[in-house]
Formats: sequence, C-alpha cells, structure tokens
Amino acid sequence: MKNETRLLPGDFAIWIFIFAELLVFGIFFISYAVVRVQNIDMFNHYQLSLNRETGAINTILLITSSYFVVRAVRAIKLNQIKQCYHFIYAALICGGLFLVLKTYEFQDKFSAGISLDTNTFYMFYLSLTIFHYMHVILGMIILLAIAIKAQRGKYSSQDYIGVETGGAYWHMVDLVWIILFPLIYIIR
Amino acid sequence: MKKIYNIHTILILLILLTISTYMFGHFNSSGLLVVLFLIISAFIKGLLIMREFMELRGVSLLWRVIMYGWLTTVCSTIVIAYTIGGN
Repeated sequence: MKNETRLLPGDFAIWIFIFAELLVFGIFFISYAVVRVQNIDMFNHYQLSLNRETGAINTILLITSSYFVVRAVRAIKLNQIKQCYHFIYAALICGGLFLVLKTYEFQDKFSAGISLDTNTFYMFYLSLTIFHYMHVILGMIILLAIAIKAQRGKYSSQDYIGVETGGAYWHMVDLVWIILFPLIYIIR
Repeated sequence: MKKIYNIHTILILLILLTISTYMFGHFNSSGLLVVLFLIISAFIKGLLIMREFMELRGVSLLWRVIMYGWLTTVCSTIVIAYTIGGN
C-alpha cells in the first residue's frame, strides 16, 4: 500500500497548463544564461542596480503564501472549511504584498527611464519579472475565487479538487520565482 | 525523523536557503563555487516545492520525470552557461 502510485492533485488539465508555463519560463531562463555569456560585464554591471532586499522579501512572501495554500488544502481534506479559506486569505495577503513591492520596484525603474529598449539585461529583467507579475495576478484571482467558493461552503472533505487545482497553479508561480530570484538578482 | 521533516520545517528550510542566497548577493560574491552553491540551493528549494507543496511525492513516474526533469535541465544549463562564460 505504501508504494502505491498517487494521482496528481487537482484537475489533470492544470498540470498540462503548468508544464506549458514551465517550458516558457525555462526557455526564458536558459536564454538569459546563454545571452549573458556574450555580455558578462554589462549583465554584472546592471544587475547591481536591482533591489536585492525586495527580491529576497518577495521570495519569502511567495514561499510563505505557498505554505498557507498547503495548509488550506490539508484543512479542506479534514473538512475544516473555515480554516481552509482563512489560509487562502493569508496566502492572498502575501501575494498582495508581493505585488506592492514589485510595483514599487517597477515604478523605481520606469521613473529612472529604464525600459525594455534600454539594454539586453533590462530587456530580460523586465520581460521575465513582468511576465511573472502577471502570473501572480492570475494566481491571486484563482485563489480569491476558491476562497469565496470555500466560504460559501462549496468545498468539503469529499469535494476539494478545486482547492488542489488552484493550489498547484500557485505553487508553480512560487517555483518559477525560486529560480528567477537567484538568476536575475544574485548570480554573477 | 518524521516529526522533524514536516511542512513547518520545510518552510523554515526554504526561508533559510533564501536568506543565504540573499547574503551572497549582499556581499557581491561571485565565482564558480558561489554559482554552484546558489544553483544547488535553488534546486533544493524547487525540489521541496514540487515534492512537498505540489504533492508530487508518489505520483506516476512520468510526471515526476517531467517536473524534476524541467528543474534539472534549467539548473544544469545555467551552471554550464556560467561555467563557459565565467564571472
């Protein structure tokens, strides 16, 4: 029994979507590393202009929000409906703080006249982080819908596939940032 | 052992690895060993998220190969590119 193969959590379709998203981000990451080989001095120079503090805080916020989502999934499996949506709201607060810090970071760059055309480093930095930012917004909309549905008693220990599906997507958003943060902000 | 390895300690481990990553950035550390440490750290974090948060532990081999394969490919390509390019 112990070695029995488990089913993927959530709706199977979300895993196809997650894989497609990971492929796109993977190509972005590999392209960044390869293009950097020809522009090492430029990449190292402009990387110093990034705010590593907000980058690190944002990583902790996303990890913590993922932890809350795990707690929400576990709670609904135990039919603890109130705890389930409380944990999802906690995850949403972390996601909201992430967006606030990221918006501040973008505002800082845009007000300094930095855009996609500035240079190759900023092209990668802005494309990757804005693309990820949009995924955070989408993930938060999904989580909010799940929290509202849970609050209305639509999920239970018998029916929690929606919570698992939204959770899987949110973890993917976290996973991508786990690679993005050291790659763009730290490694030189 | 089972009592120590749980969702709460995984969260702490993930936060500690993030802080260590930040510290390398704070001191502007560079070099192949630093790159290796940072990528291995990101790999471990990614593995923990996939295994414990996304609950991939125990699912079909195909999906584990797909997901862990993605992580391994991305991390190893980054290391190769940084090894070729130097710092």
